[in-house]
Amino acid sequence: MTDAMSAATPAATDGPGAAGKPLRIRRRIPTRTPHQAADGIRAGHRLGHPLVGIPWALPALLFVGVLLVYPFFRSVYGSFFEDNGFTSHYTGLDNYARLADDPIFGRSLLNTVMWVAGTLLLPVAIGLAIAVATHRMRFGWLAQLLIVLPYAISGAATAVLWKFILTSEGSLNEVLHGIGLDSLARAWLLEWPQNTIAMIVASTWQATGLNVVLFAIGLRAIPRETVEAAELDGATGWRMFRHITLPQLRSVTVVVVGMAIVNSLKAFDLIWVLTQGGPARSSETLALTMYREAFRLFHVGYGSAIALVLSIIVVASSWMYLRRQMPDTSAAKN
Amino acid sequence: MGRIFRNLFVAGCVVLWLIPLYLLVVNALTPVAAYTGRPDWAPRGFAVWENLSTAWSDAGIGESFLSSMVYAMVCGAAAVVVAAMAAFAVVVLPIPKPVFWFWLIYSGTLFPLQMFLAPLFGMYADGNLYDTRLGLMLVYVAWAVPFAFFLIRNQMTTMPPEVTEAAMLDGASFRRIFWRIHVPLMGSSLAAAFIFQFTAVWNDLLFGITLSRSPDIQPVMAALTTLNNAYASSGPPVILAGALIVSLPTLVVFLVFRGLFLRGITATAR
Repeated sequence: MTDAMSAATPAATDGPGAAGKPLRIRRRIPTRTPHQAADGIRAGHRLGHPLVGIPWALPALLFVGVLLVYPFFRSVYGSFFEDNGFTSHYTGLDNYARLADDPIFGRSLLNTVMWVAGTLLLPVAIGLAIAVATHRMRFGWLAQLLIVLPYAISGAATAVLWKFILTSEGSLNEVLHGIGLDSLARAWLLEWPQNTIAMIVASTWQATGLNVVLFAIGLRAIPRETVEAAELDGATGWRMFRHITLPQLRSVTVVVVGMAIVNSLKAFDLIWVLTQGGPARSSETLALTMYREAFRLFHVGYGSAIALVLSIIVVASSWMYLRRQMPDTSAAKN
Repeated sequence: MGRIFRNLFVAGCVVLWLIPLYLLVVNALTPVAAYTGRPDWAPRGFAVWENLSTAWSDAGIGESFLSSMVYAMVCGAAAVVVAAMAAFAVVVLPIPKPVFWFWLIYSGTLFPLQMFLAPLFGMYADGNLYDTRLGLMLVYVAWAVPFAFFLIRNQMTTMPPEVTEAAMLDGASFRRIFWRIHVPLMGSSLAAAFIFQFTAVWNDLLFGITLSRSPDIQPVMAALTTLNNAYASSGPPVILAGALIVSLPTLVVFLVFRGLFLRGITATAR
């Protein structure tokens, strides 16, 4: 156990003096692999022509190029057209100008922001709390297993189950009536903003387990010496958590927050099955608005513009997280 | 004091998390005729087989279940092979500009699916691929390749280059090196990537409802959604039984291969 930890830590520190500062795990993926770095020219000769790898990469490039990359650029191009599926004509930036004064887009953007904020507030915070509480606990693994179970269930199935709970005649209202809180019972899915909030809770049920698992990995990687030293200095409870645990979890937190944001921006299945974005399009997020505009209302160009806005938000907000996965370009230059 | 609070917190969370699953099972047991319009909290009869078979045959979940099983198995496996070959090219073979190829393939997972849907729909309509099994499988493979590539590539970079060199000295061809050395040594990584992509394809809804329409082509989540839209007529017990059926494969995979299942997603955190 200790061996595994000490083996993990040297690579994790930026320098020898990192003890006082939060541990920053800047694990970058080398692009020049040992195979290629050894000796460019000689290795090249031995392994053959530099293009010998192309046939091996070709199937992947064909699949991704034809079915993902080409449609991506076609979407960008299509967003400059007014297109109803049959006729289309160039309108420049009109689709984007329309976004600005479309109240449905505004509501959709607000719901998307609520999803992101709610996801950070609930699945991430609760996930952290559960991971810390179950760390080194007897039967903690069992609690974690039960909480991560819904992660194996699809968004659509989760939605079917929660529809049963959240519908006006559903289990939740039944419970509220049963314990005498009739005033709290309401039509959860029929009014804004509670429909969005209720769905964020439903997605919390599904998504928290993953965060628990990720935080648990981070907690296990904290060196025991650090915790013991802090204990000797008299740190316990909240102070221990605030000044030792939390800083040590930094790199895991970046990943969890990044993934949580991306997943909340991409959330589709749950909302589509629970409310179809309704009633009156009040619970749509950008992912839903794009789908409805492009495939229900046949505003294909407008839908593409929304998709591009959503893509930009996704990439921009996951930048911190993506940077960790980026191959190390500085190593590739030498 | 702190310990008691902690135990209570964990126990409370576990109970809260189990309640929806409990409701799912209990209400899937209720005979449709006995369903009162209000959810049950205790089992009322034992009609689970009737409900399951209604959902399976009358509501069409069964047909889609088998289609989706084919999609998820075939596309998951195909994506892993294609991704492993690409990883082999980028990591082991002397390909120029490995960073460029990495990003070109990996970029497929960065963007929301909405970015690809409208042109894909157009292409499929023109190419007679709309509402065909082949069309869905092609897009599932393409969608599964990037992340599988990411996982396998990361694992492959940890393999010592001497292994390849020794095989080269012995005169092995690239094909032989790939199938006889890399694939066997990367076994658990390939399995983790397969399980991850199997689950992703199985759970897909968006491609299913966009690129297919007929009940015999649609994947299982699309069929569940259709069944759910008939909430009032088919009765909640049958719908919940349907949800139970479609969740079983991924739940079983999760419980049996828990380590491999989570390895796919947690690989990004280590």
